[in-house]
Amino acid sequence: MLFDSYKTDGFFDEMFGNGGGDAPRDHYGQIWDRFSVMNDEELQGKKGALDRSFLVNGITFTVYSDNAGTERIFPFDPIPRIIPPSEWETVETGLIQRITALNLFLYDVYHEAKIVKDGIVPMDIIESAEHYRPEFKGLNLPNDVYIHICGTDLVRDDKGDYLVLEDNGRCPSGVSYVLENRAAMKRTFPRLYGNMNVRPVDDYPLQLLQTMRYVAPHGKTDPVCVVLTPGVYNSAYFEHTFLARQMGIELVEGRDLVAVDGHVYMRTTKGLVHVDVIYRRLDDDFLDPTVFRKDSMLGVPGIVEAYRRGNVALCNAIGAGVADDKVTYAYVPDMIRYYLDQDPILNNVPTYLAWREEDRKYILENMESLVVKAANESGGYGMIIGPKATKEEIATFRERVKATPRNYIAQPVVSLSRHPTVCENGKAEGRHVDLRPFVLYGDRVRVLPGGLTRVALRKGSLVVNSSQGGGSKDTWVLRSSLGES
Amino acid sequence: MPTPPSPSNSDASSLAEILAAVEQGESIVHGSPDRQQIFRIFHRTVYTYGEKARRSTNEVRLTPKENPWQKVTFFLLTIRPATHVKQFRDLHGNNVHHFEITENHSRLVIEAQSIVRKTCKVDFEAFPYGSPMDALRECRRIDHCHEFLEPSHFIEVTPDIWRAAVDARGLSEDVFQTAYNIMTFVYKRFGYVPGATHVGTSAMEAFKAKSGVCQDFAHVMIAMCRALGIPARYVSGYLFDPAHDDLRGTQASHAWVEIFVLGRGGWFGLDPTNNKVVDEHYVSVATGRDYNDVSPARGTFFGGGAHRTLDVTVSVDRAE
Amino acid sequence: MLSRVADSLYWMSRYIERAGNIARLVEVNMEVLLDLSLEQQGSRESYWYPLLDATALTEKYQALEDESKRPEVPEFLTLSLENPDSIRSCIAQARENARMVRDQISDEMWLELNSLHLFLSSPAAAALWHRDPEDFCTQIIRFSLLFQGITDATIPHDEGWQFIRTGRFLERADKTTRILDIPHRLQSGRGPLPWATVLSSCSARAAYRQLYGGEVTERLATNLLIFSDVFPRSVRFCLRMVDEALHAISGTPRGQYSIEAERLTGSALASLDFAGPDEVEMMGLPAYADQLQTKFNDIGQQVFATYVLLPSEVALQITEQQRLVYAYTSQSQQQ
Repeated sequence: MLFDSYKTDGFFDEMFGNGGGDAPRDHYGQIWDRFSVMNDEELQGKKGALDRSFLVNGITFTVYSDNAGTERIFPFDPIPRIIPPSEWETVETGLIQRITALNLFLYDVYHEAKIVKDGIVPMDIIESAEHYRPEFKGLNLPNDVYIHICGTDLVRDDKGDYLVLEDNGRCPSGVSYVLENRAAMKRTFPRLYGNMNVRPVDDYPLQLLQTMRYVAPHGKTDPVCVVLTPGVYNSAYFEHTFLARQMGIELVEGRDLVAVDGHVYMRTTKGLVHVDVIYRRLDDDFLDPTVFRKDSMLGVPGIVEAYRRGNVALCNAIGAGVADDKVTYAYVPDMIRYYLDQDPILNNVPTYLAWREEDRKYILENMESLVVKAANESGGYGMIIGPKATKEEIATFRERVKATPRNYIAQPVVSLSRHPTVCENGKAEGRHVDLRPFVLYGDRVRVLPGGLTRVALRKGSLVVNSSQGGGSKDTWVLRSSLGES
Repeated sequence: MPTPPSPSNSDASSLAEILAAVEQGESIVHGSPDRQQIFRIFHRTVYTYGEKARRSTNEVRLTPKENPWQKVTFFLLTIRPATHVKQFRDLHGNNVHHFEITENHSRLVIEAQSIVRKTCKVDFEAFPYGSPMDALRECRRIDHCHEFLEPSHFIEVTPDIWRAAVDARGLSEDVFQTAYNIMTFVYKRFGYVPGATHVGTSAMEAFKAKSGVCQDFAHVMIAMCRALGIPARYVSGYLFDPAHDDLRGTQASHAWVEIFVLGRGGWFGLDPTNNKVVDEHYVSVATGRDYNDVSPARGTFFGGGAHRTLDVTVSVDRAE
Repeated sequence: MLSRVADSLYWMSRYIERAGNIARLVEVNMEVLLDLSLEQQGSRESYWYPLLDATALTEKYQALEDESKRPEVPEFLTLSLENPDSIRSCIAQARENARMVRDQISDEMWLELNSLHLFLSSPAAAALWHRDPEDFCTQIIRFSLLFQGITDATIPHDEGWQFIRTGRFLERADKTTRILDIPHRLQSGRGPLPWATVLSSCSARAAYRQLYGGEVTERLATNLLIFSDVFPRSVRFCLRMVDEALHAISGTPRGQYSIEAERLTGSALASLDFAGPDEVEMMGLPAYADQLQTKFNDIGQQVFATYVLLPSEVALQITEQQRLVYAYTSQSQQQ
């Protein structure tokens, strides 16, 4: 049967290890009951049905390094990850605290920079961050929100504590998989799902729309909101379509928009229609060829001027990336203390900054045991995992760190928690997982209950990115029985 | 509104017993733990200035209190424009956040959000009767009661208030019963009229006007309690309206009264604005002698111009 | 609706109709070839060239560099990715357009189109083509009909649907003239022309029998496929549908026009109203078909110019840079 030869191998296991033993944890009781009795045939049937539904529904992503247009489904594992209410409360409140501090930091950085004047964050760090946009200093945004949509990556260490691995404050993707995974799981395991009292995720698109409306320029009450996509070849194009459709708003490409006299319009068959709020799934660099990259065919010439004049809101704001820089990351706990006078609810993974001399020395001497990351790359590119890297790779990274220390950070290898995952042989084996919850910062801060659990499908691998052999699981946050009264 | 059962004489404790209970500590009350609630509270205050304000120094009291019946599992105070925030405790044990905004600004936003787990202190099957009015003089000797018998910024006991208190007491010889009678008296005789008073209206003025909002109801009731020697303090906080009963004070922050019941568990809440004994649906934020000790936000600033607006949003929801 | 969306819906629809019609063309040709004598069979490859001519693909075919690797014409028309108008390419492009407007079409439409695309990209498609080419064509034709039925039954008949209709009927009108053209291009004095095959390719066998009885003549077949007011694949019928759709989009009453495409459609329709088989015989079918095809192209270009390329308000203010972007995107859609 599925769990017959399951071993936790000394890792923190999401499902097993109740009270230090080998039994399933209490909140996994029903999962155990359902999956442990499943025979191979039933399991393969369920798995096949799930995969087919993703493929046929076109829930695919495009791989960058492949030829354009190569579509794959994001591999999906049928055993859901369960998060009990008390654990979720920590995650949720920790994320609310964190995104609040990040937004205050961004406001501060683009205004008085008090946190720099008070000696908490060095100016060098901010000025050298790739996504810092000093030309937007002093610009006031509707309701002072910079990061409207945040996808924070969390991992659990060997004690099961949640740690923040990185903040994605630019264009975090993956939320459509959360919603589609859930829809597929509800179809495939209707009774199990129904019995477990899981918090639903389907109102995310509506809340996203509310978040957008909240920042409408000039307090407009019925703003025209759109999703701006780089286009059909973008790896997350499916998600852009999905969100636009769920919200009932237009999905536009750069060529659908035109900026005239400091206002943005979309080109329709009936003429130009004024656009107020843009959820842009396009990095700053590509937004406006007259301001940023001249060769960008994806953006809208003049859109930045309209943004400056306050006639259009962009979610997330231009320059928000300074907060998800991997070096800035190291200072988030200090930001929480400075702006909120609280201790962080969710801790960072301990981080060494190559920028600091003593840290750099440590990194260069201990690279074999560290994870070294470029500060501004996402998607698992530009990093090495010391214990798994070859001598050559380590040598290359040593040189890189020496050459541009500002651009590198290092962290100890966190032994990510594992979760039973169905493998080729039809047995469950432990695979490393992380969690990307999605936070919306609008009138209220809302955290989507759950998020995307990503699984490193290769045995022993710690890389969960979809482009590098990762898969996903549905994440079920259970309701507290207390809230039921 | 249900009339509470009257105390039977056999419930009355001897003075000696009561003083012994005081010695052992007052707060051993089990209440009704089954009546548990989790609330998410959101409280936004927005000041908009006609002209730029600057050098503003502020103190806010918005953190729900911690006590055996109220656990704050999450609290977050956000100030915009972003600035350095420090917190401390004041003399009444309230959590205070302090911050300054030196630069020019035309808007100040103060947002407090919290998650609070509540149970009910009072047992609705057995109200804390049994503390005789005769024993009240003992309260003067208890440090943390003394100041709640004295006049304070907004509250003075006038002869009129004293007469009204004596009328409201009727024949009651029991502290809780007397306070309950005063609450009902205020609830029935005073009109709930938003706009009739202002933030600086004293108990005496409100008593004369016979109308006001929760702040005035609480001030008048405190004055009447103090007139009879019952220690009474002002509580600011939030009220959740479970049955959408049109309870007063759910639109913004609320205020009520706590009276000290010697030997029967200490401070108990009574809400004269709604004529209700305070239960698990009340979340207390700050306590003090009167509004002056607990005002949610106060500060000084330069500039700002004549046109200033204040916009307050409060929501209390059951958490999932 | 977004101009680009209108454009994508229009092209999605055109490409699906085109795929179906190419299947019809290939089917006719195969039927004709079956009747050839053995000695003629020796040069059967040459019997496919007229089809390339009829679909204006000769140049593209000959441009394929390496002659030895050049696919045979039937393969070129059906499964080749070298041919942007092969059935497989058409479906891929229809799907690509559909993908760009995924949020505007029904799940049923997407599922059907996506499944066909996945099938055509799989080895199973080539296997079917080699084993049973007729069945292959039948399946494609059936798909295009099915897709159109699903479209009409699952999305609101609003502006987007009118663009879908415009694309469908403009393409159908065009391809009907090309199918009609084949017998003449095949002719080299050998035997009677395969008009009956042409009719069945246009699903017009039954309609013809009801109208004219059993014997099939060029004159009557032409009359049905060009001038019929009630047969849904005739040129006149298709143009009437285009005219209706364009008026529904612009909101202009029928009989009047507010944009150039409406004027061109109206004028083409009027000339069909007052013409008949005599005019065709006078001009010769190939020439008559040619001038119709030119009109269809003009209408298509005007639709694009009005609704996609330059809505009048932008025309005044558009910057040079944007012009480049639009020119680039419009090229990618025009064949």
